[in-house]
Amino acid sequence: MRGALAAAFLLCAGAGGAQTPPPPKPEDTPLAKFSAVCDAPFADIATPLPLPHLTQALEKKQSIKVMTIGSSSTVGVGASSLSRNYPNQLLDIFRKSFAGLDMTVVNRGVSGEVSAATADRLKVQVALERPTLVLWQVGTNDALARVPAEDFARTVKDVVVWLKSHDIDVVLVGLQYTPHVARDAHYHAIRAALSAVAEEEQVLLVRRFAAMEFLSKVKGGALLAQDELHLNDLGYRCMAEHIARAMVVSSFMRVKPRPAARP
Amino acid sequence: MPLRTANAVDFWRGVALASIYINHIPGFFYERFTHKNFGLSDSAELFVFLAGWSARSLAGESGDALSMKRMILRVGARGVTLYAAQILITMVAIALIAGASMTLGNPLLLEWHNAAEVFQNPVAAHVGLVALTHHLGFFDILPLYVVLMFCAVGLAVLHRSAPRLVLPISAAIYLLSHVFNLNVPTWPVEGEWLFNPFCWQLIFVLGFQLAGARAQEEIRRHRPALRLLGAAGVLAGAVIVYFKLWPDPLNVPRPVLLFVVDKSYLSPLRLGHALALAALMGGVFAVAAPKAPRLASYFCLLGRNSLYVFCVGSLASLVAQLARFHFGGTLGVDTAALITGFAVLGFTGWLAELKDRVRASGDRT
Repeated sequence: MRGALAAAFLLCAGAGGAQTPPPPKPEDTPLAKFSAVCDAPFADIATPLPLPHLTQALEKKQSIKVMTIGSSSTVGVGASSLSRNYPNQLLDIFRKSFAGLDMTVVNRGVSGEVSAATADRLKVQVALERPTLVLWQVGTNDALARVPAEDFARTVKDVVVWLKSHDIDVVLVGLQYTPHVARDAHYHAIRAALSAVAEEEQVLLVRRFAAMEFLSKVKGGALLAQDELHLNDLGYRCMAEHIARAMVVSSFMRVKPRPAARP
Repeated sequence: MPLRTANAVDFWRGVALASIYINHIPGFFYERFTHKNFGLSDSAELFVFLAGWSARSLAGESGDALSMKRMILRVGARGVTLYAAQILITMVAIALIAGASMTLGNPLLLEWHNAAEVFQNPVAAHVGLVALTHHLGFFDILPLYVVLMFCAVGLAVLHRSAPRLVLPISAAIYLLSHVFNLNVPTWPVEGEWLFNPFCWQLIFVLGFQLAGARAQEEIRRHRPALRLLGAAGVLAGAVIVYFKLWPDPLNVPRPVLLFVVDKSYLSPLRLGHALALAALMGGVFAVAAPKAPRLASYFCLLGRNSLYVFCVGSLASLVAQLARFHFGGTLGVDTAALITGFAVLGFTGWLAELKDRVRASGDRT
């Protein structure tokens, strides 16, 4: 399995030399299949978009540092141990998928935090850690705190623009799903605002709500801890799988070369 | 009859408490009017600076009659009171969150304020709460105050025995924590204190030092120059915020924390802005109080009873958040939360002084 995925990666990454490889179909890439319990329609979970700096690091076998930031789902509330939270499971998936991968994950989650508070500390954390890619799980607490959708969008956009301007890839991880919020208008307004920012800034968004809603309806409450809110180990495994696949598929996308700087 | 007559320290502490109530409600309409939106610092700096100022009155002067033993007991006792207050409001906050979750039938609320760990991992979380290594969000400034007050025992002793060493030692700790990214870890949730005690101690110590008689004399003598400097600092802060000229953390020299605007480490820019604000606004109370006596009286009432008001205010902002969740974050709800909240803060101050008023009226009859 490990060797086959690595071979698939090297085949794709190495083809064409200086030319970027043709965009692969999701079914041809590593992590082509979710585990049976996490299986959900990939098209509902993410629309792949280029992650040029992750791609470059994978191709050149450079070290990769991923910073995960966000609230309780990033901290791993409900997981049986720290090693079972989503950032650690994500790292585990990547290491098993790519032989010789030099990847580290630094987790900067703070439970219950709204986007403005995260944004306040995110830039300094990025300056201290210098990550290749930032995974920002965001929105749930803003929706519950009734933060105006336009304020939320402004906060997220400001950070995304800043990360892009410093050549750091960013992946947004959207709001979680529970039946309690399915009819909450403001919750959906925040979801829509996040989608709009991702669309406008052309950054990858992992639509966790859609994935969790699908799995909840198909698998029942198997992925949630006793409070019916937080994910259990299996739930975090699915979250990690969905994010990992979105990242890998995106990292295989054709990257439009930047115009050469004029003399 | 109030415990003491209206004064500038109580007034500004009252302003800080009212501001903290507003700032602790995310998405609140009136949050945009607090002074954090017009500069680099917020009410937390003012609160801790004035806490240091007040600690000076507990510690006394080097030459006064208060014995060292009695002084240590006084400062230590204040630390114990603050610690008890922190535990009390934390437990009430947890009950409020749990009660709201049950009443409103929404388990999502259990995540608020970093409370999820208390419900998911109660064994370790309760140890963390008592040991002050686990803080609820927005309930994290009092742990700093507790630590600072216990450390103030050492500060007071040093102040009596070697006063010239106080500021250099404090500044050295501040600088070292910036250079080496030193902070206190949290447990059981992996992280760091939002208010880094190694850094925030400096503004506490500055308040402590500036409250001394000699420093006051110097301040009075140089008041116009200080005010001018303060105005320049406050104006610079406003320009930075308005034109978004914050230093970009990825473009500043190392050590990064010395050159960015960071709350946890109370970066020099934030500290400078807070001191500029203090220099500019010092003396304003004496001029403004006669022109707006009711407002001045209200804020002084809050400031005189700061611990009670802070505790009730922290819980009131949590209640306001829950109300916004249930009723929506409309302007009407926010206005009701503002009026009710300020009334509750005022009532708390009034209630705290009731005993003294009754005693005073009994003495008169």
